[in-house]
Amino acid sequence: MIWAAFRLQRLQLLTLLGLLVAGSVTVVLLRSTMVDFFTSTRLIECVAPNAGPCPASPEDLDAFAANWGDLFLVGRVVIVLLPALVGVFIGAPLFAQELEQGTHVLAFTQSVSRTRWMLSKLVVALVPALVVLVVLQYLVWWWLDAAGVLGPHANGSFHVLNFGVEHVSPVGYALFAFALGTFAGAVSRRTLVAMTAGLGVFVAARFALFGLANRWVPRERRDAPVGADADLSQGGGLWVGSGWLDTAGQQVSPDRAAALTRTCKGGTETQEAYTACLQQSGVARRYVITIPESSAWLAHVYDFAVFGGLAVLLLAGTAWALRRQS
Amino acid sequence: MTPLTATAVGKRYGRRWAVRDCTFSLPEGKVVALVGPNGAGKSTLLRMAAGLVRPTTGELRAFDTPVRGRIHPDVSFLAQDRPLHGHLTVREMIRLVAALNDRWSTDRVEEMLALQAGVDRDATIRTLSAGTRTQVAIALALGRLPRLLLLDEPLSDLDPLARDETLRIIMAEVADRGTTVVMSSHLLADLREVCDHMLLIDDGQVQIDGDIDDVLARHRILVGPAADETAVQGALVSATRTPRQTTMLVRDPQPTPHGWTGTEPDLESLVMGYLRAARDRSARRD
Repeated sequence: MIWAAFRLQRLQLLTLLGLLVAGSVTVVLLRSTMVDFFTSTRLIECVAPNAGPCPASPEDLDAFAANWGDLFLVGRVVIVLLPALVGVFIGAPLFAQELEQGTHVLAFTQSVSRTRWMLSKLVVALVPALVVLVVLQYLVWWWLDAAGVLGPHANGSFHVLNFGVEHVSPVGYALFAFALGTFAGAVSRRTLVAMTAGLGVFVAARFALFGLANRWVPRERRDAPVGADADLSQGGGLWVGSGWLDTAGQQVSPDRAAALTRTCKGGTETQEAYTACLQQSGVARRYVITIPESSAWLAHVYDFAVFGGLAVLLLAGTAWALRRQS
Repeated sequence: MTPLTATAVGKRYGRRWAVRDCTFSLPEGKVVALVGPNGAGKSTLLRMAAGLVRPTTGELRAFDTPVRGRIHPDVSFLAQDRPLHGHLTVREMIRLVAALNDRWSTDRVEEMLALQAGVDRDATIRTLSAGTRTQVAIALALGRLPRLLLLDEPLSDLDPLARDETLRIIMAEVADRGTTVVMSSHLLADLREVCDHMLLIDDGQVQIDGDIDDVLARHRILVGPAADETAVQGALVSATRTPRQTTMLVRDPQPTPHGWTGTEPDLESLVMGYLRAARDRSARRD
C-alpha cells in the first residue's frame, strides 16, 4: 500500500526533493557569501545585539543593506508561500485527481479499506512536504540569524513577515493548506476547482486569522513617569496599546486623554510646559502594553493550534466525503 | 453458497429510482448475462454488488455476507470506464493493484495476459488501445482470484477480434476456476455464446431471471393475421403490427392457434421483445 501511494506521488515527491536540494544549496551559499562579506568588512563585529560601536565603514553598511535587503525579503516570502504551494500542488490533487479520473473505483474494489487507502495517501503526500518545509524554514532562519541585528531578526518575532516564518507556525499553515486542498478535492471531485478554491480560502483564512493567536497570549504593562526620559519600547515585543495612568494608578479613559491632550497642547509651546500641564491635570505616568518578545513562542503555539485544529476538522471532512463517495 | 443474492434492493438518486425492489439469487458457477435497456439500472446494480454504492432499500449479499460499503474478498469488479492509472506502465499497474490486495496472484494476471497477443508490460497504460486496456483491467480483476466476477460492459468499445479475445479470457477463467461471472452487455449475440443464465432488468426491476435455455423455451414468437389476435393465449410481452400481419412475443403460450406460425425466439429477439415493451410502457407514461 505504501509503495502504491509512493508510486502515485512520484512526480510530487521528486519535485519536493528537487526543491529541497536547490533550496538548501541556495541558502547555504547565500549565508556563506554573506558571512564572507561580514568578515572582510568587519561588519561581523556589528551583528551581535548590544555590540559596541561598529567599526565598519558606513559605505559597507549601506552596501550591505542595498544588496541583501531584497534577498532577506525573498527568503522569507518563499517560506510564507510554501504552505500555499503544498496545499495547491500536493493537497488538492491528492484525491481530486483520483475522483476525476475514476481511479478511486479501482482502489475501492480491492482488499484495502477506504480508510487505510486514504491514510496512506495522506501520510505519503504530507510527511515529505512537511520535512522539506521544516528543513528550508530552519535553513532560512539560520541564514537570517547570521545577519543578527543587521537582518530582519532585528524587527522581532512579531513582525508580520517574521511571525509567519518562525517556530511551528509554517507547519500549522502547511497542515491547514494541505487539509483544505484535500477537502476541496474530495468534495468538488475536480482538480482545478480544488486547487483554486483551496488557494482562495487559504489566503483569505491567513489574512482573517492573522494575529488571532496574540489575543490569548499574556500581555505586559510597562510604565514610566510622565516626562521621564524612558524609552518604553525598549525590550521589543508586540505593541498593543498605550495610555496614561493617574496618580492613583488608574488608567485615564481614552476620551479624557484626548481632551487633556487638546487642552495641554493648546497654549503651550515646549515639551516641558506640556508635561507640566498633564501633571497638573492628574496624569502621573504613561504606559505601554506589549506582548513581550519572550512570549512569542506561545503565540506560535496558539497559532499552530488554530490552524492545526482547522486542518484536523478538514481532514475529518475529507474522510467523510470519501466514505460516502461511490 | 450463493454468490450473489438481492433482497428487495432499491437505489434512489434524488427522486428517480435507478433500481427498484430487485430480488434475485444467482446460481453458482454460471455465466450470467445482465441485460436491459440503457439506464435500466444495470451499472447501479453491479456497483451496489461491488460495495461502491449503498442501496437505499433492501440488501445485497455476496457469498452470504451482507455487502456494506466494501467489496467482498471473493468478488472482483470491472467498472465500465476501466479505471487505470494512465501514466503507469502495465507492469507498475499490476504491482500497484497487487499492493492493494491481501490475496493476490501475479501469476494469474500474467497467465491471462499471455492469452492475447503481445501486451507490452513496459507500455504506459494511456498508450494502449481500448481493447488492450479492457483486457488488462480484466486480468487485474482476476488477480484477486475471485469466485464472483462482476463485469460492467466488458465488451463495449472492442472490435470483433478483441471481443473474441476478451471472451476467451473470461471463459478460461470459468473453465479453470469455476468462477461465477455476471456481465452486462448490449451485444446479445456474443452473450449467447458464453452465458447460460440471464437477468433482464428494466425500469430498475427484474423482468426475467433464469436459465437462458429454459427462458427461451418458455417463449414463442407468433406470426399470424392481424385480424385474429384473440386466438393467441398466453402472456403477451410485446407485439409489432403491420396492416396484414402481427408478430407477437408471448410467454407461456398455449398451443399455436390455427393460421399462426410459432417459433422459439433467439436471445436477441427475446430481449428485443422485452426492450420494446419497456419502451412502449415508458412512452405511454410520458
